[in-house]
Amino acid sequence: MTFTAETLERTELRGEPDWLRQRRRSALEAYERLPIPSRTDEEWRRTDIAGLDPSQFAKFEHANGAVADERELPKGVIVEPLSAAVMNHSALIEPLLFSMVRPDRDRFAALHAAFFTGGNFVYVPDGVNIDEPILGQHFSHESGTSVLPHTLIVAGKGARFNYLDEYIADGDDEAAYRSGSAEIIVGEGAEVGYVAIQTWHFADQRARLAKDATLKLFNITLGARFSKTRVEASLMGPGATAELKGIYFASGDQFFDFHTLQDHQVGNTTSDLLFKGALQDVARTVYAGLIRIEKGAARSDAYQANRNLVLSAKAKATSIPMLEIDNNDVRCTHGATVGPVDPNHLFYLRSRGIPEMTAKRMIVQGFFGQVLDRIPFEQARTMIENELESRLG
Amino acid sequence: MATQPKPVDVGSDYKEKYGFFVPEDYVFKAKRGLNPDIVKEISFMKGEPEWMTKFRLRSLEIFRKKPMPTWGADLSVIDFENIFYYLKASDKQSKSWEELPADIKATYDRLGVPEAERKFLAGVSAQYESEVVYHSLQKELSAKGVIFLDTDSALREHPDLFKEYFGTVIPPADNKFSALNSAVWSGGSFIYVPKGVRVDIPLQAYFRINAENMGQFERTLIICDEGSFVHYIEGCTAPIYTTDSLHSAVVEIIVKKNARCRYTTIQNWSTNVFNLVTKRAMAYADATMEWVDGNLGSQITMKYPSVYLMEPGAKGDVLSIAFAGKGQHQDAGGKMIHVAPNTTSTITSKSISKAGGRTSYRGHIKVYPGANNSKSFVKCDALLLDENSRSDTYPYNDVDADNVTLGHEATVSKVSDEQLFYLMSRGITRSEAETMIVNGFIEPFTKELPLEYAVELNRLIQLEMEGSVG
Repeated sequence: MTFTAETLERTELRGEPDWLRQRRRSALEAYERLPIPSRTDEEWRRTDIAGLDPSQFAKFEHANGAVADERELPKGVIVEPLSAAVMNHSALIEPLLFSMVRPDRDRFAALHAAFFTGGNFVYVPDGVNIDEPILGQHFSHESGTSVLPHTLIVAGKGARFNYLDEYIADGDDEAAYRSGSAEIIVGEGAEVGYVAIQTWHFADQRARLAKDATLKLFNITLGARFSKTRVEASLMGPGATAELKGIYFASGDQFFDFHTLQDHQVGNTTSDLLFKGALQDVARTVYAGLIRIEKGAARSDAYQANRNLVLSAKAKATSIPMLEIDNNDVRCTHGATVGPVDPNHLFYLRSRGIPEMTAKRMIVQGFFGQVLDRIPFEQARTMIENELESRLG
Repeated sequence: MATQPKPVDVGSDYKEKYGFFVPEDYVFKAKRGLNPDIVKEISFMKGEPEWMTKFRLRSLEIFRKKPMPTWGADLSVIDFENIFYYLKASDKQSKSWEELPADIKATYDRLGVPEAERKFLAGVSAQYESEVVYHSLQKELSAKGVIFLDTDSALREHPDLFKEYFGTVIPPADNKFSALNSAVWSGGSFIYVPKGVRVDIPLQAYFRINAENMGQFERTLIICDEGSFVHYIEGCTAPIYTTDSLHSAVVEIIVKKNARCRYTTIQNWSTNVFNLVTKRAMAYADATMEWVDGNLGSQITMKYPSVYLMEPGAKGDVLSIAFAGKGQHQDAGGKMIHVAPNTTSTITSKSISKAGGRTSYRGHIKVYPGANNSKSFVKCDALLLDENSRSDTYPYNDVDADNVTLGHEATVSKVSDEQLFYLMSRGITRSEAETMIVNGFIEPFTKELPLEYAVELNRLIQLEMEGSVG
């Protein structure tokens, strides 16, 4: 079986609404039309995808939106697998699905849009606050499969909640193709916390913020031998604030590639980005981020930082923080660092009798602490701390 | 490629500011366009050895094969077939100021070359068109064994030294414009500083463009032997014309063990010039290379002075300012390539955009495997003077070695209301206050210049600031 039109006619997709079937077909056309990104494309220059052939993994695995949350939700709130939601709430979903994660962006995005299965639909109506975080889990158990869940999150006016997306693979089995994406629509005055913990290959996380909306997005990348993650926020209304934070820990021969975008469409908007990564063994990471301030977006305030802690001689970090500023009445600052553990810090700890390995580990934990402390709910924080701990070894 | 050159708005007061125009009077002017015959003709006119003719022809082949760069500024309006690749303004080099033709002198008077000569009492190598026509070198320098010639004379007079280094830092195949320069180069400076010799007085050359549709392809080669020091200053202005002119220079510098070289440029081409320059230095053990690079004029500048840090202890420094006014795009920056361990580099960039101008910082820090314990720091500050202007920052940082510390910082801001209010409350007009703030902003750059140049730069900034409505 391959990624073809016949595959789209499979029974489980046949029942979908016409608009979605049409959308899948046009995404498939884009997939067939678009070339494999080459090293001459700026976005892929530093990314080696020679060994990656999704068509090897054309057997689908159903990671169908296990919403690991059984408790009662306030009235009007929808938390459903996306596959069910497109049937039950078609009118709500149609204008939003793939409005931000564009299928024609590249071959992999097209593939994802054509064949996605699983993922969740979260809808929180105007004025509804949910204190406990909503949890979504996406599993990949089998090898040789493709797992392509897609999550759509919609926050109504003044809604407030936290959501955790957890992408889980059994072991570090590489014989699979996994792509998990999320679209987040934050309505006027709403406040959304979104945390994604991923060990997968591709992730497109894209948010749109209306007037006075607040987004706190945390991307934690720990896994997959190869991963390409895009985190993008468009600030569409004045007073919008996006906090985009990332942690990555790469070891062995892992390769992580991050693209971020802080897209200030209008003025009086704020974005604050901090991606911190630690690398060991022969791991490599690439961070390329852009702050884009549109012409009319006066009084925007944007901050972008990428910090890399290189723990071994053979690990390699590339950092490309970019600015495109089309308005003078702004405050934009960015910074990037790549460096080893500060020998003074190490010396300080060792002089207090702490063994070198433990000292190094404490420094890494401290390094990540700055981001971890900002995660808006305890559950995700603990989970990530444990994950990091086990990997630091 | 578009055959219709883009109309250029250069501002009506440009002529009064620093644009001027002298009627053409050329001894030899090659045909427009680019083909092997023209390249052979240039080489023949110059009486070059065969290896150079072959080098030019090979470079032309490379130029033809290389695609136009698709990044950076829009270069599609350049019409390579509509350019004069060689002109010779007078038949022999003048040895003294008095011998120069009157119209050339008139041009230089506007530029202030005689003053510079009086003040420096040093070698002035001023370039009018493609050939160095005025050249004086202090006896003192010759006595020390310092060679300071135009590049064509150097090829004739020091063929072995020339051949040993020419094209070794920037090979023709480096990029499309270095290939073009290698095929049609003419003029430029050649400097050799022997072992242990310190040249205390800056060596200067003025470069000029003065013909419609004329490309200027000077080629500069500087060799600092072990333990030597030289400061070379290149300043440029160009008269105003309405069709696009192309300036594509290649500057190669070799800084040997313990030597230090500083290369200062104030580039002020008129706003219809495409300025596409490749500048690169190789710094060996404990050597220091400093680029001080100011870009004010031109329509489009793409220039990224670079230092290859080849041996332990080498140090590279780029200090760059860019000012983009109406219709201008300054795409400038710097590159530091760390090849050896214990090497250090810094890049400081200051850019100012005004009246719809666009400045882009584009830089690359590359630390190769084995270049352990290297340090690099990049700082970019951008000032946007009005809401129509634009500023970009594209820093590429690749680290492949152990124990490397790399930092990058950038800020973008406007002239702060507090600063303006403070100055204006003391009776200073708004435009004066803005000029003062801008001059303060680029002060780290200005203070590295010799006094005369600092004064000239401040004056230019003042003219640029007055030149449009704020």
